[in-house]
Amino acid sequence: MADVTSSGNADKDDGKPQIDRNALAIAMHRKSRSFGLYFWIPMIWLIIVAVACVFAPLWGLPPADEIDWAYIQSPPVEGHPLGTDNLGRDLLSRIIYGGRVSLTVGFAAPFIGVGLGLILGMIAGYYRGWADEVIGIMIDAWLAIPGLVILLLFSVVFGGSLFMVCLSLGLLFIPTAARITRAATLNYAGREFVLAAKAMGASDFRILRKEVFPNIIWPLIAFVLIDIPIAIVIEGALSFLGLSVKAPTPSWGGIIAEGREVLSTSPHIALYPTLVMFLTVLCFNLVGDAIRRRLADVREGAI
Amino acid sequence: MGEIILDVRNQRTAFATARGMLNAVDGVSFTLERGKTLGVVGESGSGKSVLSRSVMRLLPGNSVVPSDSKVILNGKDLTRLSETELRRLRGPEMAIVFQDPMTSLNPVLSIGKQIMEVLMFHMGMKKGPAKEKAVELLRAVGLPQPDVRVNQYPHQLSGGMRQRVAIAIAIACEPDLLIADEPTTALDVTVQAEILDLLQRMVKERNMAMILITHDMGVVAGRCDEVAVMYAGRIVEKAPVRELFNNTRMPYTAALLSSIPKVTDPPHRKLDAIEGRPPDLINPPQGCPFAPRCKFAGPECEEQVPPLEGPGAHQYACVKPLGEEVAA
Amino acid sequence: MRYLLYRLRRLAIVLAAVTFVTFLLVNVLPGDVAYEMAGMDSSEEEVQEIREELGLDRPVVIRYFEWVGGVFVGDWGTSFISSEDVWHAVTDRFPVSFELMLLAQILALAMAIPAGMASAFRPNGRADRIIGALAFASVSMPSFMTAILLIFVFALGLGWLPATGYEPLSSGLWANLKPMILPALSLALVEWTILMRTLRVEMISVLQENYIALARAKGMSNLRILWVHALRPSSFSMITLLGLQVARLLGGTIIIEQIFGIPGVGRLLIHAVYTRDFVVIQGCVTFFALAFVTANFLVDIAYAWLDPRVRTRGSHG
Ligand SMILES: Nc1ncnc2c1ncn2[C@@H]1O[C@H](COP(=O)(O)OP(=O)(O)O)[C@@H](O)[C@H]1O
Ligand SMILES: [Mg+2]
Repeated sequence: MADVTSSGNADKDDGKPQIDRNALAIAMHRKSRSFGLYFWIPMIWLIIVAVACVFAPLWGLPPADEIDWAYIQSPPVEGHPLGTDNLGRDLLSRIIYGGRVSLTVGFAAPFIGVGLGLILGMIAGYYRGWADEVIGIMIDAWLAIPGLVILLLFSVVFGGSLFMVCLSLGLLFIPTAARITRAATLNYAGREFVLAAKAMGASDFRILRKEVFPNIIWPLIAFVLIDIPIAIVIEGALSFLGLSVKAPTPSWGGIIAEGREVLSTSPHIALYPTLVMFLTVLCFNLVGDAIRRRLADVREGAI
Repeated sequence: MGEIILDVRNQRTAFATARGMLNAVDGVSFTLERGKTLGVVGESGSGKSVLSRSVMRLLPGNSVVPSDSKVILNGKDLTRLSETELRRLRGPEMAIVFQDPMTSLNPVLSIGKQIMEVLMFHMGMKKGPAKEKAVELLRAVGLPQPDVRVNQYPHQLSGGMRQRVAIAIAIACEPDLLIADEPTTALDVTVQAEILDLLQRMVKERNMAMILITHDMGVVAGRCDEVAVMYAGRIVEKAPVRELFNNTRMPYTAALLSSIPKVTDPPHRKLDAIEGRPPDLINPPQGCPFAPRCKFAGPECEEQVPPLEGPGAHQYACVKPLGEEVAA
Repeated sequence: MRYLLYRLRRLAIVLAAVTFVTFLLVNVLPGDVAYEMAGMDSSEEEVQEIREELGLDRPVVIRYFEWVGGVFVGDWGTSFISSEDVWHAVTDRFPVSFELMLLAQILALAMAIPAGMASAFRPNGRADRIIGALAFASVSMPSFMTAILLIFVFALGLGWLPATGYEPLSSGLWANLKPMILPALSLALVEWTILMRTLRVEMISVLQENYIALARAKGMSNLRILWVHALRPSSFSMITLLGLQVARLLGGTIIIEQIFGIPGVGRLLIHAVYTRDFVVIQGCVTFFALAFVTANFLVDIAYAWLDPRVRTRGSHG
């Protein structure tokens, strides 16, 4: 790369400094697009959270549902670094085990939703006609009910296992994913390379898999990245209402809900999980945003 | 000598772009007297609009103007005024009519509102009298049924009518200087003459000074007192209109003149564009910027940028001016 | 006009689909109401008896059409648990939820419009960056967390506003508004960001328009240019969003009404969910879907007000 520092006072009548100036502009451009602190700092936090949750049993914490009769609703003390809740359970342990639920749902739900949306969107966009119409109406209907209401319905009907929570939350992400896929499929299904493949007798499934899918996967990955923090937030809301995984399995929303009861006397019970959840969601948003920009950059405006 | 309304001295306007500094206006000077019209002619991209915005002090954020550039309007140096002080001058002392009347009126405000707000802000008028004045202005610019039109929205008017509204807005506060930036380029040929006549009449009636910007030599012919020809951000020839047409010195001006559509041409004939492309304003060529496209250019043309000079009122920036071939 | 008819037909189908699926879910899937009503240790006969009594033994499609027939004449069924008429239960509580949502939207707009303008005025300028960062933090904070923090600071800490409760409008405007402020703010603090971002993007492009340049050339002040000249042409996407957001907001009120003890439709629904009161759940979902559809019609009307090109279509072109 050319000498960047000398280009500031480049003489405009000389050929060479021009090149320097362009090099500077390109370098600045590159720099603004590479992962900066806004990516790495949140990433570090996410890694800490992930490691803490995944290897939770290794940290020698008291079990999340063990009651310590000596310390009921206690502020941070020796042995309970974040204190205990109103039943005397260790708050740090509950937050870490609760994080397992949040992270599981946060990753599983978007993949389920985007996967199903991908299939529906491809069908609608590729076959058009009545399939498109029916899927369109399904999506409209889906969007006409508040997401939380859908989840409430599901939790009533199917009960609160972790799997069902992931599944029903995943369903919420179908409409947008399906719409994106449909638009992209419409766009690609008419292109020459697809028509050529068709002319050569490729099956519909093969065309979708080989020609259409690789072209829409990146926007969808970006979409998954946006959905992770959303899924965590919605699971939080659901467990706050007591409609996610069944007690005594801890979850962030659930701990906050329990802490709310004693907010005036022991605010730490609600505020610590609130802080952890806020930071985690914020960091997912920041990291997702950085990766999305990178993807958009690499693939120049595909998103 | 009449009263001097506008005095532009060595105006330079550059833009910071990704590739480097772009010198859109590069050392332009001229004066304009009350009641006179200056035509500014040049190809697209020659810096006419940037010049007009430099006079109005309406430049975008990436622009750079050196401190020795001066714009003096009615004795006030605009380069020294604050944004608030400038705001008070825009309307009552200087006004502009833009090229495209389709996009220069606000689609969500009635045309009455768009005229009234100038009157209310600058003249302190109340709503009622402002509306009456707006109707009167619309009548003055020849809009039919002004009392109905005043409540209509831009999309309900034709292009020519919108340009009349734009003119009404511009003259609402009786400015001393009116800038018309290609006011007829976006209009049908049939209404072009009407709009130009209207502008000319308004300038006469209200004793204003006007800068009429155009890329069409035909437009300036009967309507200007003096003409400045612009190329690559510079004035390359300036003369009283008759002198310019009869005694053209600069080959670029001659090329522009030969591109005027003639009456004998079939209608809608594509204009003869001048061959070649305007220079890159970020990395301009050495010497006369027109030299690479000039039929008469010689090696001496590439030595340095020729200054704008000449005897009396006729000035030109050319090393080998037309009509001097014998001498050369 | 043809488009409008198409939209209407589509919305009708959507409503039918929503209600039918809901009906299916609450009626055929496990956890039958009859079991709930009969109690823990009841015999199969007792359950069957209750079923017949409620007409639950007939095919679900027939029951659905009966239910739909009732919906049109205001008979939304009766709660199995509280014996309350569902239509009345919903419509009695709706004004409360509506007030909450309206206040939330007003607050959200009151934050989003100035913030969006300030951001759009100098994109990437200092104000834009600060507002962008605030928005980022704001979306990372779900409404129930915001609610907890607001209660902690303004109710428990400073004691300025009550933490829970509801006062009807009949006890005075301020008495009514006072307990609504924190709930509405909790919702608004989430909603404003997306409104702000939408407005910002659209306004940045509007500010490049020629008519804005002309407004500057007319000597108008920046504030006037932003509010009078740029805001309305910039708010089309934002208005569309207001309609779409109704669904999210309805979802938000459920949790916020629960936290602040506000007797609205959301609380009714949650209570019905806890007690598995299926008739009420069905009624609430139908009502939410109706509200969403209506809101989006209102958005179309708002368009006409914003854009004279739509308003005066009859008189020209
Ligand atoms: N905001 C800006 N940033 C960068 N370059 C600009 C800007 N505005 C105008 N220019 C450049 O300045 C030159 C002169 O433009 P303009 O004055 O609009 O020409 P015209 O004579 O057609 O009115 C053009 O090369 C144009 O690209
Ligand atoms: Mg121009």
